Amino acid sequence: MGNFIKNAKEFLIKIGNAIKNFFWNIRRYINKFKRKISDFLDKKKINPAGKFPGWAKALVYLSPALIVLGIFTFWPIINSFALVVYENYNMTSDSITGYTIFGNFIKVLTDESFIVPASHTASSAVINTLIIVFISVPISIFLALGISVALNSIKPLKGFFQTVYFLPYVTNTIAIGLVFAYMFKTQGGLVNQFISFFGIDASELSWVETNAVYWRSMFVLIFYSVWSSLAFKIMVFLTSIQGIDKQYYQAASIDATPKGRIFSKITVPLISPMIFYITVTSVIGAFKIYNAIVALFGVQGTPPGANYNLQSIVMYIYQFIDGSKEGQLSVAAAGSLILFAIILVLTIVQMQVSKKRVHY
Amino acid sequence: MEKQLFLKSKKIEKITLIFDALAVITYIALFLFLFNHLQMPMDGQSVILEDLETFNPIYNDFPGIFSNLVLNRGQMNSIISILIIFFIVAFPMLFINIKKNKTRTIYDIDSYSTASTFVQAIINLLTFNFVGAGLRVYNTFVYIKFLKGYSPKEFFKSIIPAIKNKRAERKAKKLEIVEDEEVKDEYSLSIKKSIRRQTAVSTVRLLLTYLFLVLIALIIIIPFYWMVLTSVKTFSESSSTLNPQFFLWIDRWNWVNYKVVLTEQNFGLYIKNTVIVALLSTFGTIITTVLSAYAFARIEFKGRELLFSILIMTMMIPGELYIITNFITVSKNGFGWIGNPAGENQYFLAMILPFVTSISYIFFLRQNFKQIPESLYKAARVDGCSDFKYLMRVMVPIASPTIFTITILNIFGSWNAYIWPRIITSVGDINGSNYWLISNALRDTDFVLDTGRVMYNLQIAASTLVTVPLLIVFFMFRKYIMNGIGRSGTKG
Repeated sequence: MGNFIKNAKEFLIKIGNAIKNFFWNIRRYINKFKRKISDFLDKKKINPAGKFPGWAKALVYLSPALIVLGIFTFWPIINSFALVVYENYNMTSDSITGYTIFGNFIKVLTDESFIVPASHTASSAVINTLIIVFISVPISIFLALGISVALNSIKPLKGFFQTVYFLPYVTNTIAIGLVFAYMFKTQGGLVNQFISFFGIDASELSWVETNAVYWRSMFVLIFYSVWSSLAFKIMVFLTSIQGIDKQYYQAASIDATPKGRIFSKITVPLISPMIFYITVTSVIGAFKIYNAIVALFGVQGTPPGANYNLQSIVMYIYQFIDGSKEGQLSVAAAGSLILFAIILVLTIVQMQVSKKRVHY
Repeated sequence: MEKQLFLKSKKIEKITLIFDALAVITYIALFLFLFNHLQMPMDGQSVILEDLETFNPIYNDFPGIFSNLVLNRGQMNSIISILIIFFIVAFPMLFINIKKNKTRTIYDIDSYSTASTFVQAIINLLTFNFVGAGLRVYNTFVYIKFLKGYSPKEFFKSIIPAIKNKRAERKAKKLEIVEDEEVKDEYSLSIKKSIRRQTAVSTVRLLLTYLFLVLIALIIIIPFYWMVLTSVKTFSESSSTLNPQFFLWIDRWNWVNYKVVLTEQNFGLYIKNTVIVALLSTFGTIITTVLSAYAFARIEFKGRELLFSILIMTMMIPGELYIITNFITVSKNGFGWIGNPAGENQYFLAMILPFVTSISYIFFLRQNFKQIPESLYKAARVDGCSDFKYLMRVMVPIASPTIFTITILNIFGSWNAYIWPRIITSVGDINGSNYWLISNALRDTDFVLDTGRVMYNLQIAASTLVTVPLLIVFFMFRKYIMNGIGRSGTKG
């Protein structure tokens, strides 16, 4: 038996050596070949490394990314400016009837339910989006600030809370949106159950289903968007609060400064650049809200049987993308350029202000 | 002597880990077997969703020594639930211990690690991992010997004297305090009073802080809890109009819901699609971003900063703008991947190729590459190392945590992708729904019965199926994900 194991071992080692030798031989041949080429080049006095300038080398490294970006990022930017000036662009036949400069923008701006509510609806995409932006962003920022200050002041269970608060970030917006819609069910929903726990009759209180009032559905939407956007803000605020020099707080505690004043005179001013950054990014994010509405109210963005819709600007754009009718893609391009303009203005404001620093 | 004991404990720990892993594998295998065994009310090929609630099969066709076993629906549910609970307990323990065992040194052995080993032994016992429990108890004694020099016998003998000692100490302390309180002049009393008031105020404040934090944590956790609970409810429980149940005992967790969602509602197929798209697009993203981040960080060429700032500027442009033209690009007048008659569409190409690179990841990785000292590069060049070799042998290993973070975030991105897959699978042929990714399947699958009622439990079970993998990955690689998001900050 021992002999057999010995033999097997030797056999395996032999096989291993053979494989090793094989690869080493290949390498040797390649090197030999390389040397031959370089000898040849030396003889002819050609220096290939010298012939390649930096940009050629860079091009080799950049080309995979640049090709993909060129087709799917840069071309769309150029093409959307082209789409906007087309009249009656037909996707299937790739034909147009003429050119117009502002025609498609005017089409978007005067379209019913973009800015002005249509006759059969009580709301429009811009109004909905602005409501979401101006209510959900301030709420979520104040809440996130409060939570991160509270988190910073405790020691035990801090990591646990931090992890829990981060959970909404790593979840799927659609999946949890469906759960929220289920929780806000009229009959047997968790929220209505909770309300009736206080003795209020909630059996007819409809949030996302038939008979839901505009503000109630809007409340669910804002609640959900705050819920899902808190995580990132808390993390950013907490990191920046932890980065504040402890000496400020020590000095304040020697002077017996009240906690409220410490918060307003030390914490907030010192993290004000971060607050500003978060404000701008979350305003941009709120302008682009889409998935949450789709999850809660379906692709149409309307609760069943309602006379209003909860479309956002992005949703308004996407409804044209199937390209079934002539000229629709141009309208979509115009809409997305308007969205881009809004974002551009916000970003420029952010850059200007953060150059001056909002400290103190 | 001490070193020997440490090595011994380490060896035992390794063996324990093997048994832990075996236990986890056993749980998974048993779970898969039983889950596969679950019966649905079938009508030929399709499941009768209406009968799902009343269907009460007897499971008696187990192989081997279990051939005499007869289980009803409730017992089957209980066994699967227990297996899942065991997995939830045992898997994180195994994962954390493997991480710890790699870095354990002789200085890590203290009374805390001894106690935690003992607690883990109890957990092992509760999850039916008896070998692991025995080994951990044995290891506890090795630790005690290491720390105090006791053998097990001496340890048990020393318990009673130790308790007696402690009691005596406490008594002595009490006496001291009583002596302290003898001092009674007005000044010290007022100081004591103010101290008491301050501690009271700070205690109340601390309590309020915790109350606030717990409240927020509840608001965040309750949707998850409600989701998991609803996903195992029966149809009538999930759509009951009065008093929904807040807790269910394990025999009423209907795991068959998941089976229906995976097979009848085709979510198995959608998960497969998503995994294919996620892996391929991540593979492409890693290659393109590593190469171009290297070019932007190390290779000097004219117009580098200009090109880079152009790329950064395009990050500002909303994705909606791209989607319009990309839709034209992938359809008939462009590459012709979609919009063809059935069977001729290349949905996967259209879903993967636009996403095989990402400017924000290039930016993120470039920052990381820039931190690697330039001298390393020069030293490598002197040794005759080519650029590509340097990138693969030096840069990539150093930046591997960042690359790993990018991998995870990119897979998350594909898992959550909604609008692009929805748009391209909604045009052209009817088979488009076979190429749905998991998010748009979740929204667009019909969970409505012929009678017009929505099968909430199945819908929420599908949601859970989408959410749980994300949560598992998050808990496993929390540090990477949080660091990555904190530094790159891609999503508002």
